[in-house]
Amino acid sequence: MDLVSTLISALLVAGLYAAMSYGLALIYGVLKIINLANAGFLMLGAYVTWWLFTSFHVHPLLAPLVIVPLFFLFGWALERTLVRRVLGSEPIISLLLLFGVWLVLQNLAYVIWTGDTRSIDTPFIDATVNLAGIQLAVPRLYVFAMGVLVLVALQLFLTRTYLGRAIRATAQDRDAARLVGVDVERVNGIAFGIGIALAGFGGSLLSLLFSFTPDFGRALSLKSFCIVVLGGLDSIVGVAFGALSLSLAEAFGVRYMPASLQNLISFVVLVVVLIVLPKGIVGTLRALRRG
Amino acid sequence: MDRRSASLAACGVALAAAIAVPFVASRAEYALDVLFLVFLYGAMATAWNLLGGFAGQVSFGHAAFLGIGAYTTAIFSQFGISLWIAVPVGALLAGVFSLVIGIPAFRLRGPYFSIATIGIGEATRLIALNWTALTGGASGLTLAAAPPLVVQYFAALALCAVSVALAAWIKISRFGYALSAIRQDPDAAETLGVATTVAKTQALFLSACLLGIAGSIYALHYLFISPDSVFGFGTSIGLVIMPIIGGLGTVTGPLLGAIVYTFIREQLAATLANADLLAFGLLLIAIVVFEPRGILGIIDRLRRGEKPPAEILPSADG
Amino acid sequence: MAEPILACRDLTKRFGGLVAVNHVDLDVEQGEILGLIGPNGAGKSTLFRLIAGIMHPNAGTVTFAGRRITNRSAHDVCVAGVAATHQIVRPFRDMTVLDNVVVGAFFGRRPRPHGRAAAREAAMTALTFCGLAQRAHSDARALNLSGQKRLEIARALATRPEVLLLDEVLAGLNPTETDQTLELVRTIRSHGTTIVMVEHNLRAVRGVCSRIVALVNGSKIAEGSPESVLNDEQVISAYLGTTHA
Repeated sequence: MDLVSTLISALLVAGLYAAMSYGLALIYGVLKIINLANAGFLMLGAYVTWWLFTSFHVHPLLAPLVIVPLFFLFGWALERTLVRRVLGSEPIISLLLLFGVWLVLQNLAYVIWTGDTRSIDTPFIDATVNLAGIQLAVPRLYVFAMGVLVLVALQLFLTRTYLGRAIRATAQDRDAARLVGVDVERVNGIAFGIGIALAGFGGSLLSLLFSFTPDFGRALSLKSFCIVVLGGLDSIVGVAFGALSLSLAEAFGVRYMPASLQNLISFVVLVVVLIVLPKGIVGTLRALRRG
Repeated sequence: MDRRSASLAACGVALAAAIAVPFVASRAEYALDVLFLVFLYGAMATAWNLLGGFAGQVSFGHAAFLGIGAYTTAIFSQFGISLWIAVPVGALLAGVFSLVIGIPAFRLRGPYFSIATIGIGEATRLIALNWTALTGGASGLTLAAAPPLVVQYFAALALCAVSVALAAWIKISRFGYALSAIRQDPDAAETLGVATTVAKTQALFLSACLLGIAGSIYALHYLFISPDSVFGFGTSIGLVIMPIIGGLGTVTGPLLGAIVYTFIREQLAATLANADLLAFGLLLIAIVVFEPRGILGIIDRLRRGEKPPAEILPSADG
Repeated sequence: MAEPILACRDLTKRFGGLVAVNHVDLDVEQGEILGLIGPNGAGKSTLFRLIAGIMHPNAGTVTFAGRRITNRSAHDVCVAGVAATHQIVRPFRDMTVLDNVVVGAFFGRRPRPHGRAAAREAAMTALTFCGLAQRAHSDARALNLSGQKRLEIARALATRPEVLLLDEVLAGLNPTETDQTLELVRTIRSHGTTIVMVEHNLRAVRGVCSRIVALVNGSKIAEGSPESVLNDEQVISAYLGTTHA
C-alpha cells in the first residue's frame, strides 16, 4: 500500500512538473534558446493568481482565464522587443538576457509583494477525495489532470492546426520553413508567447499546491531543466516522460536521504544525463531507433 | 609616452592613491569601509572573469568557492588556528573542489555548462545548510576576532592588485591566447593544438583559489557567515554582473564593474530591499541588448567615434 | 619505397545506419600533394576529421610517422604534426589576423616559441608566406572569403605541421584566387610539408596533385596518377551519375 501511494503521489507530481516545463521545451524547440526566465514566469503566475484571489476574489481555478492571454501577450511582446535582437548571437547572450529578465521578475515581485510567504486558501485547496482506499488531495488530482490535458491540447495544436505545424516546421528547420512560406519571425513571437503563457499557467497550478515566495522559482527551474534535458530538449511528449522520471527518482530517493536534500536529486540527475546522454533519454531512444 | 606606459603609469598612480587613503582621508573609517568592498568585489569579479570572460565559460555558481574559503577560515578560527594557515588552506580547498566539479562539468558545452553551475552553487549551499556538524547549518558561524579594518583594507587591496596583475599577465600570455581561442571557437582551438579541457580547468582552478582567499577576507570582515550569505545565489549573481557591467573578458572591466556595483548597492540598499538586484537585472538586460561589452565597450566605441559595429560578438545567420 | 608518412588502415566510421567511411586504406607519401576527390557525401571530409582526431573511427587505425594517432584528441594530433583546415572557415572573429595565427604558433608542434614576441614573429612569417602580411593588424572578420581561407591556411601552417590537410580550400574562390591559392599550396609543399587536399575543382586537382584518391559512398574506388583516376570509368560515372553541380 505504501508503495502504491508513493507511486500515485509521484504520478501526480509528474503532472505538475510537466505542466511547468512545457513552455521551456517549446521555446527551446522553436527559438533554440534556453528560457532561463521560465522560473520567473512560474513565480509570477502564482503571484497573479494569488493577487486575483485576494484582491478580486477570483477563484484560483478561474485565474488561468486571465493569466493565459495576459502572459501570452507579455511573452510575445518580450520576444518582439528584446529576444529578437539576440537570436543571432552566441547562446550565452540570450542566456544572459533571459537571466536578466528573471532577475527583474523575481526582484519586482520582492518589491511589490515582499518576501512574505503567500498561499491561497479556499475549500477547494483543502478538499480530499477517497480513491480505492487512498486519500488524495483534490488539487493534486486537478493539477495532474491539467498536466495531461495540456499535453493532449498541445499535441493536437501542434499536429492538427496550421499554426502548430508551422511551429513544428520552424523548430525542425528554420530555413526550410521559410522556403515553404512560413513567417518565421511571426512564429518565433507566437511560440515564445505560448511558452510564457504555459509558464504562467503552470505557476497558477503551483499556487494551488504550495505556498510561495518570489524565490521559489529557483529550485523549480533546476527541476524544469532536468526534465527538459531528460526528455530530449524540444519534445513535448519528452517533457511528460522526463517529468515522470524525475518525480519517481525523487519519490524513491526521499526514502534514503533527508528531505531537505531532495532538490539535489534533480541536479545530480541533470548533470549525469547531460554528460552520459546528451540527447536526453527520449532523444537517445529516437536516435537508436533510426539507426 | 606611448599608450602602454601611460596605462602603467595610471595604474601606479591609482595604486599609490589607494595605499595612501588610510593615512590621508578625512572620513577614513567610512572611506576604508567602502573602498574595502570595492577592492574585495573587484578581486572576486576579476577572479570570476578569468573563467567567465577570458575563457567564455559563464558560471552562475562561483559563490561556492567564496563560501569554501569563508567557512574554512571561520572553522579554523574557532579552533584558534592561525590565519596564515587558514587562508591558504581555504584557497586550496576551493581549488581542489573546483577540480572535482570541473572535470564532469567541462564535458558540457556553453549554456549547458552554465545551467549545471546553477545546480553546483545550489548544491553547495544545500550541503552547507544540512551539514550542521561542520558548518552550524542555517545559524551560520561567528568569528571571534578580526584584524583591524586597516589590515583588512590592505588585504583586499593586495588581493585586488594581484588579481588584476595576474589577469593582465595572462591576457598577453600563451595561456591567455588559449583561453581567448576557447571562448570564440573551442573546436577550432583544438585543431590548432590547444588542449581546451586542460586550459579551462586551469582557469577554473585559478579563479577558485582567488575566490577562496576573498572568502576568507569576507569572513574576517563580517565576522558572521551563513549558507545564504556566502553560498547564496545572490552572491553568484553579483560575480556575473560585475564583469558584464565593466567589460566581460577585459582586464580592468571587472574592477570597473565592482565600483558601479558597490555604488549602486550602497545607494539602493537603504531604500527598498531587493531594489539593487532589480536595478542589476535591468542593467544586465540593457547591456546585453545595447552594448554587450559593457562600460569599456562604450568607451571604446566613443573613442573610435564610430557607430555601433553590426555585431559585437560573432553572429550566426538569424 | 619509403614508409608513408601518414597511413590509414581499414578506417571505418558509421553514423547510425549510414557508413560514411567504409574500411578505407590510404597511404600518403612524404612530400607529395595528394588529392582526395569524390561526389558530395562521399565521406572525404569525414575521413579528414578521422585523421585529424576531430572524430574517432569505429574501426581501423591511423598512423603518422610510424606512431599510432588513432583515437587521440585533435590537439594531440596537431601537436604530433598533422594540421587540418576546415571546410567552412572558422577564424577567431574577435582577434586580429595576426593573433589568429599566433594561436597556431603558440600551440602546435614542438619546439614552440617562448613568449608573445617570438610567437608573433613566427606568425608573421606564416602570414607573409600566405600573402597576408599587409592585413596582419586587421580584424579577422574584416577579411573577404579568399582572405579568410588564406588565414585558415596560415594559422594551420603556424603549427609547424609535417602534414597539412586542406578541406575544400578552393571552394567559393574565383579563378584568380584559385590560381593564387594553388601557387601557395605548391610553395608550401616545396618547403617540405606533405599536403592532402579534398577538392571538388577537378581541373585544379589535376594541375597540382601528384596522386589522386577517389572516394564514393565511403569507399575508395580509384587511386593513382591524376590522368588515370580522372579517366577511370567508375569515377566518371560517380560524378555524372549524381546530382553534382
